[in-house]
Amino acid sequence: MAAPHHGSTSPATPALPPDTRGPHSKRLGLITVVATFGGLLFGYDTGVINGALDPMIAYFGLTSFTEGLVTSILLLGAAIGAAVGGKLSDFQGRRRNIILLSVVFLVGTLGCVLAPTLGVLVPARFVLGLAVGGASVTVPVYLAEVAPSERRGGLVTRNELMIVSGQFAAFVVNAVIGNVWGEQEDVWRYMLAVAALPAIALFVGMLTMPESPRWLASKGRDEEALAVLRQVRSPERAEAELAEVHLLADEEKEAQTGGWSDLGTRWVRRVLFIAVGLAVFQQLTGINSIIYYGTQLLTDVGFSRNGALIANTANGLFSLLGCLVGMRLMNRVNRRTMLLFGFTGTTTAHLLVGLSSLLLPDGVLRGYVILFFVVAFVFVMQGTIGPLVWLMLAEIFPLKLRGFGLGVAVFLLWITNFLVGLAFPQLVAGVGISNTFFVFAALGVLALLFVRTFVPETRGRSLEQLESQFRRDYS
Amino acid sequence: MSVMVAVTDSPEGAHALQVAVGEARHFGTDLVVLNLTLGDLDLSSLPGEPSHVVVERRGRRDPAEVVLDALQEREGSVDRLVIGVRRRSPVGKAVLGSLSQQLLLEVDIPVLAVKLPA
Repeated sequence: MAAPHHGSTSPATPALPPDTRGPHSKRLGLITVVATFGGLLFGYDTGVINGALDPMIAYFGLTSFTEGLVTSILLLGAAIGAAVGGKLSDFQGRRRNIILLSVVFLVGTLGCVLAPTLGVLVPARFVLGLAVGGASVTVPVYLAEVAPSERRGGLVTRNELMIVSGQFAAFVVNAVIGNVWGEQEDVWRYMLAVAALPAIALFVGMLTMPESPRWLASKGRDEEALAVLRQVRSPERAEAELAEVHLLADEEKEAQTGGWSDLGTRWVRRVLFIAVGLAVFQQLTGINSIIYYGTQLLTDVGFSRNGALIANTANGLFSLLGCLVGMRLMNRVNRRTMLLFGFTGTTTAHLLVGLSSLLLPDGVLRGYVILFFVVAFVFVMQGTIGPLVWLMLAEIFPLKLRGFGLGVAVFLLWITNFLVGLAFPQLVAGVGISNTFFVFAALGVLALLFVRTFVPETRGRSLEQLESQFRRDYS
Repeated sequence: MSVMVAVTDSPEGAHALQVAVGEARHFGTDLVVLNLTLGDLDLSSLPGEPSHVVVERRGRRDPAEVVLDALQEREGSVDRLVIGVRRRSPVGKAVLGSLSQQLLLEVDIPVLAVKLPA
């Protein structure tokens, strides 16, 4: 799960000299590595609760409500962090914003690690969420603005991979720590503490990284913008690109035109409805319930505590593999086809998890069968719906509606993520695992109907074509 | 001198534009077209006379503010504003506000409010 990217629809620009290799390529490579630590942290901090939760329940005596709260309060923070973070990074610059975020990451992590009571832990998780949300909007923008146009898509994709890798890394680290120090009641503190390392790396690294040239140009600081371009482009290219940077900065201003008052227009309401539907249904697949509660789910269906920690790393691995496959497929298959296939796959997997949990006798076999279907669900989800929804959110809005529309859709995506995360433990405690997955399956059927009825094909169509279609169909 | 028209993304907006063209011709002035939609205005069907300029919306601002600012920028040179109006539900007005009402009350020059022919 990552943030919107929008390099692909930039206006036609005068031909630029190709970006030949040189010392500047190394500099750009380093920037990418450092900035994507933001993505890694995003993944690590959302995934680390998976595995840490069991010892936390024992330590704090959590109920299924407080368990959901500790987990999902981070998402509420992320919803707010994403909304505020975008504005803040426009105001103070991408670089300063990322540095600030790394400090917030660190403060949030220390707060969680040292928390003596729930009264400290919950606010600290919220603070961590602010950083996660801020990173989700700032890092992809920074990468897209620093990268040359022909490599923009690739760099942003790498950030998405770092997010999933961060989650996988958290599962692996938790499995190791849990198996080595599992007997200590403070073991969850060790698990959470590891997240401080990438936060420090991000902080130190970003200190020597340059500001985004596009942001500098948008503030009228052309000299500095050019100086940055000289660091990350070949000399001939740097000068030529300043004009493009200005054009893109203007485009970005234009993207901030629409607002609430435009909802008076029917086609605008319709586009927003479709985008919000995609965002909400992506989260209602329950993908993040597995990312947060995977280990516990596996303990519930028959794995030992240590075995569940290890088996859960399969969720992380197949999430990463799914993402890799999805990115390859993405521009070869129609979006609608891929969405319908994805929701059919995830819904089938939900039904199979529910049925296995209901029908199979307790024991090792039941555990492994359920693990298999859960992993299949994660793989299909991350190979289709996961990355695709982000891509479609980025390309469905006409330019002048984009800033506002994307903001609303992404905010509601985080809120849905929060609500599902809050409800999942209570649902499992209340109606059991099989019924919980039947609920997800029912939501999946709704999602299929939604996609079939409302979602237009966006692949290979320009924004202008889409806009005139919406106008024609809904006015 | 000129006539200004606020074109919203609706049949009323298109109608206001037609009326404004007639007004500008009648007074022999040029036309300032404020594009309040989120797309590009197709003005290819406008006749050569009167001559017109298009003003685009920029930045996240209330459309009424856009109109008021454009008027202020051309203070003294615009002698009429044309807007399209329609009946709105009380809920719609409460939620989204009424652009027409705000303009009718706040604009200092004469406002010509046109309705779609029944």
